[in-house]
Formats: sequence, structure tokens, C-alpha cells
Amino acid sequence: MNIRSAIFFAGAVSLAMWAGRGAIAADLTDVGYIDQADLASLPIFVGANRQLATFKAQLDSQYNAQVRRVRTDAERQQVAMQFQQQLSDKQREVVGPLFQRAQLAIAAVGASRNLTIVVDKRVVIYGGQDITKDVEAVFASPQAIQPPAATPPPSEIGYVDQTALDAVPKVQTANSAMQQFETTQRQVYSARIAQARSPSDRQQLMQEYNKTVADKQDQLLKPLVDQTRAATSDVARKKSLLLVLDKADVIYGGTDITADVQNELTK
Amino acid sequence: MSKMSLRSSLLSVAILLAAAGCAPNVHSSAIRGTGYVRVDEVVKHHPLYAQLSQLDDAIAAINLRSAGPQVPLGAAQLASRTGELNRELQAAQTRANAILAQKQRDYAQRETQAVQAALAAAGIRGSGATAAQQMSGASAQQAAQAAQAANADYMAYQQNVIAQNNSASSSIERQLQAQAAQKYRAKAEQLQQNETDLSLRLTQQDAASRLAIKMRLSNLALDPTARKDAQNQLAAIDSKESSQVAAARNADAATLRAYRAELDRQTGDAIRSQVGAIAAQTQGKLAERRNEVGSQLRSLGPPSMPANVPPDVQARIAQIHRQYIGQFQADAAKTVSDYNATKSDLDRQFAALHGADVGATGAAAKELDALQKRRNDLYGEITEQVKRDATRIAKEQGFSIVFVDVWSAAGGYDLTNELIKDVEGQHE
Repeated sequence: MNIRSAIFFAGAVSLAMWAGRGAIAADLTDVGYIDQADLASLPIFVGANRQLATFKAQLDSQYNAQVRRVRTDAERQQVAMQFQQQLSDKQREVVGPLFQRAQLAIAAVGASRNLTIVVDKRVVIYGGQDITKDVEAVFASPQAIQPPAATPPPSEIGYVDQTALDAVPKVQTANSAMQQFETTQRQVYSARIAQARSPSDRQQLMQEYNKTVADKQDQLLKPLVDQTRAATSDVARKKSLLLVLDKADVIYGGTDITADVQNELTK
Repeated sequence: MSKMSLRSSLLSVAILLAAAGCAPNVHSSAIRGTGYVRVDEVVKHHPLYAQLSQLDDAIAAINLRSAGPQVPLGAAQLASRTGELNRELQAAQTRANAILAQKQRDYAQRETQAVQAALAAAGIRGSGATAAQQMSGASAQQAAQAAQAANADYMAYQQNVIAQNNSASSSIERQLQAQAAQKYRAKAEQLQQNETDLSLRLTQQDAASRLAIKMRLSNLALDPTARKDAQNQLAAIDSKESSQVAAARNADAATLRAYRAELDRQTGDAIRSQVGAIAAQTQGKLAERRNEVGSQLRSLGPPSMPANVPPDVQARIAQIHRQYIGQFQADAAKTVSDYNATKSDLDRQFAALHGADVGATGAAAKELDALQKRRNDLYGEITEQVKRDATRIAKEQGFSIVFVDVWSAAGGYDLTNELIKDVEGQHE
């Protein structure tokens, strides 16, 4: 009687497993992550950042002085761009070589552990392989770091470059219209808030402002965001990817599907 | 098999099937042990979300207020506000200088004590030790004095240059505003003259008609109807002249208003441009002097020791000197950085005073920073709890990895709703 029950129970377990969604597959274990804040706290990075901060403080003073002389918004924008360019150039000069070495160290550690992707620690809250200390050790070693012989194996984690997607004409047009709308509304509501008689009036105006902006966002941007996410999901499915991240969170490896999503969006 | 055991077996099957239906098969090919959480959605259901929203609103309100059009200030208000900013800057300089002087004294004293300890440890006593201590002490004192003198010199120079800057800026502002007032007066006088000329011209044009009508009116035999008619004609001529003069006056008033606005704009631009150029020169001069002072201080080397102090002790003393100089510089950098932050904020307020769009400044900027910090702390606290809960659920359900901030998902398992229930359940 007991044997019969046991056989029946085993059958039930098999049935339950069969009823479970999908076939059994190996878990995703080839994902590494790095604590970039920890990496940035290495003395060499701290020194470089301090140098940049000093340069930026000087630039800020110069910018403040120069911006007082401009007459139009266009001139102000141009001055801001010039200063931004100077800061970027300095950044490239001071931090560029360090980033390059860090990239090589990450690639070397990633290759030695057979990782398909390395992401920022911020986006992994459980599991994954923490390679921060290994990367720091390779980075700090006195020898030159050789780039890995092969590119990382194909990853089931994809990524999109959102700045490239923002450059799609219809997205660009919508963003620019939204920005213009927000600027106008800020002017309108800031003047009204300045004249408000009581804190509750101000509160009400703030809510009104937030709602106005949110409604416009829903009207202008939400359809595009939905469309972009749908296009990304379609591409991800076709390429058998599990998840898609933002490029800014991917440090090494991963599958870039930006061009495919762009194509879908421009169809 | 009895009826009883058949029933219990069927129940087991039902329970297992139900369990399979509820929990995800995390190892299926569609999930592969991978979960993800939409943290922003979970945060919206957290009990502290209301506080987070309030902080967001307060931050947005300050940003919105600072985006508002500023009421243009008059010359006197501008001068008074500039004076206030300069007083604040001077107070910040004095404060920074006092802190730096105190730090210099502290480090010099500590260096002297360290040198004494090093000499004692090396067994050097008597004249050699005294000489070495004196030289090291004198060197530290000299370095401190040199640094103090250099700082005092720099501060004096800075005050002097800023005073020159302010004086030149005020003078330029006064001159430009006086020029604008003169131009406005000239324009107003010219328009008034035009109105007088027009009035005169109209009177002359209508003089013959008016004279003829008055002649008719002076005829005593004129019948009442004709008299009334002549009076109406005279009134019509007067009315026509007055309305033409009034139209010209209105047009001139509009012209004057537009001219005033244009002059204000031109004057504002010219003030900004010239004051900006002066400020840039000032910044240049200060940067140059700062570099000179910096290089002078850097050139202060370690003390030279008497010949009877052994080389290893000399090296140790030199190392102590370098160590304390390094520590002092690092410590002083913090004070200088605090001063620079204050100065930078005052610069922004100065720029805002002259019409530049620099966002929130002064008290508003401080309030904004404080709110932003509180907001970040609270958000961090909420997300940390969400991550802890996600980790627990992931472990319980056998996930291998859980992501946040996923842009899009074609597979994996969305743990968001379970976390929302969990977060809400913990606080009910």
C-alpha cells in the first residue's frame, strides 16, 4: 500500500514539474559586476579627480565672468558649449589613460572567468560574480595589460545606447518640444508662484505645474517610450535575449542591439 | 488502495499542481534563474513614499522660484547688494585665513615635537640636538611665517583688486546709467518740441478759416442758425487740431516707452559686458597671484642640519618635515575648498545680480542642497530595504541573479509585484 502511494506521489511530482512553465535550462552564471565607486577610490583615480575638480573650479569662475558679457540665449549656449568642450578635453587628458587601463583590466579578468558581460554593481542586487578586487589587482600591477585574445562570448543580456535612440528624428523632435514646453511653463509658473499669497496657494500652483508637465509628457513622450520599449522587446525576443540594459550600466561584453532598435523605430 | 489513501493521493496531486501554478519555475529556459525588479514602482508603494514626494515637491518649488524673471534692481539697490556680497566674501576670507594660521601653528608645533622625539630616539643630545631642533623649529616657524605672510599678502591683494573691480564697476554703471538718462531726456525733449511744432503748424494752417469764421461771428446781424453753424465750425477746427495733437502725443508716449525699454536693455547689456570684462581681468589677476604664492610656498625646502647630526637622523628629520608639510597641505586643502565653495556661491550671486541665469543662489542654494541630501538619504534608505527584501525573496525562490533598472525584458521573471506586496505587507 505504501509503495503504491509513493509511486503515485512520484507521478504527481513529475506531473507538477511537467506542468511548470518551460523546460529546465542552465541558470545564467556568466554575469560579472564591478563596484565602480570602489575602483574610483583608488588613490590614482582620487588624484586625477582632484586635478579635474580644481580645473573645473577655475573654469566655473571664467564661465561666470564670460557669461555676464553675453547678450542673447544663443550666445550663452555657445559659451556654455565652449566651456563644456574644454572640460571634456581635460577629462580625456587626465582620466582617459586611466580608464583605458581599467578597461583592459576588466577585459582581462572577464576573459579569465569566461564572463559574457560585466555590469555596474548598482544594477545587480542579488547573485552574479563580483570581480572588483580582481580588477583592482590587475589594474595596480606594474606590468602592461594585454588585451584578451578573443571578444567575449555572446551574451543573453543585451543593451541599448539610449543617447543613440534619442537621436532618432521623431524622438529628438518630441524631446525638443517637451523641453520648450517645460521652459515656457517654468517661466509662467515661477512668476505666478512668486506672486502667491500663502504657502497653500504655492502648493496648489506647484501641483498644477507638475500636472501640466506630466500631462504633456504623457501626450508627447509616453507613446514614444512605449514604442521604443516594445521595439526593444521584439528585437530581444528575436535575438533570444533575456533582458536588455542601458549601455551606461554595461562595462564590458553584452549584446548591443541599438542599431536593430533604431531600425525598428525608423520603419 | 483504500478510498482514504486514494483521496489523500489525489489531494497531494492537487496541492502540487496548485504549487506549480503559483511559484515560477525559475530554472525554465524562459527565466534561467534570472529575476528583475522595477525599483521605482516598488518605491511608489513604500510607506515613506509620501515623505519622498514632499521633498521632491519642495526641491521642484525652489528650482521653479529661481527660474522666475527677476525684478530689475536700481543702481542704489545694486550697489547695496554688491556691498553685502563683498562683506560676506571678506568675512569668508578672514575666517579661512584664521583657520589656516591656526593649522600652521599646530602643525609646526607637532613637527617640532616629532623632531625632538626622533633626536631622542637616535640618542642625540646636547648641542647637536639643540641645533637640529632649533633649525627644524626655525624652519617650521619660517615656513609657517612665510605661508602666513603669503596668505596675508594674497588676501590683501585680493581685497585690493576686488575693491578696484567694484569701484570700476560702479563707476561704469553710473556712467552708463547717466548716459542713458541723458539720451532719454534728449528724446523726450525732441518729441515735445515736435508736438509744439505740430500744434503751431495746425494753428497756422487753420488761421485763415478760423479768422473768417470769427469775422462772421462778429457780425451782430447774423441769424441764430448761421451763428450756431459758425460756432460749430470753429469747434470742429479746434477739435480736429486737439485730436491730431493728442494722437501725436499718444504716439510719442508709446515711442518714449519703447525707447526707455530699449535703453534699459542696451544699458543692462553694456553694464554686463563691461562689468564682466572687469571681473574677468580681476579673476585673471587673482589666479596669477595665487599661482605665484603657491610656487613660493612649494619652494620652501626642508631645513639644513648641522654637520654633526648623522645622515640617517638628518634623513629622518627631513622625512618628518615632508610628512608634516604634506599633512598640513592636505588639511589646508579642505579649508581652501570650503572657502572656494563659499566664494563660488558668492560669485554666482554676483552674476545673478547682473542678470546672468545661474539657478538657485545664496540661501535658496543652501536650502536646495540640504533638501537634496535629505531626499537622497531617504531614497537610499527605501531602496536599501527594497534590495534586502528582493534578496530574501530571490534566495527563497532559488534565483541565481536579480537585476534592477532593466530597460526591457524578453525573458527572466519580474519580481516587482511580489516585492510590492511584501513592502505593503510589512507595514500594514
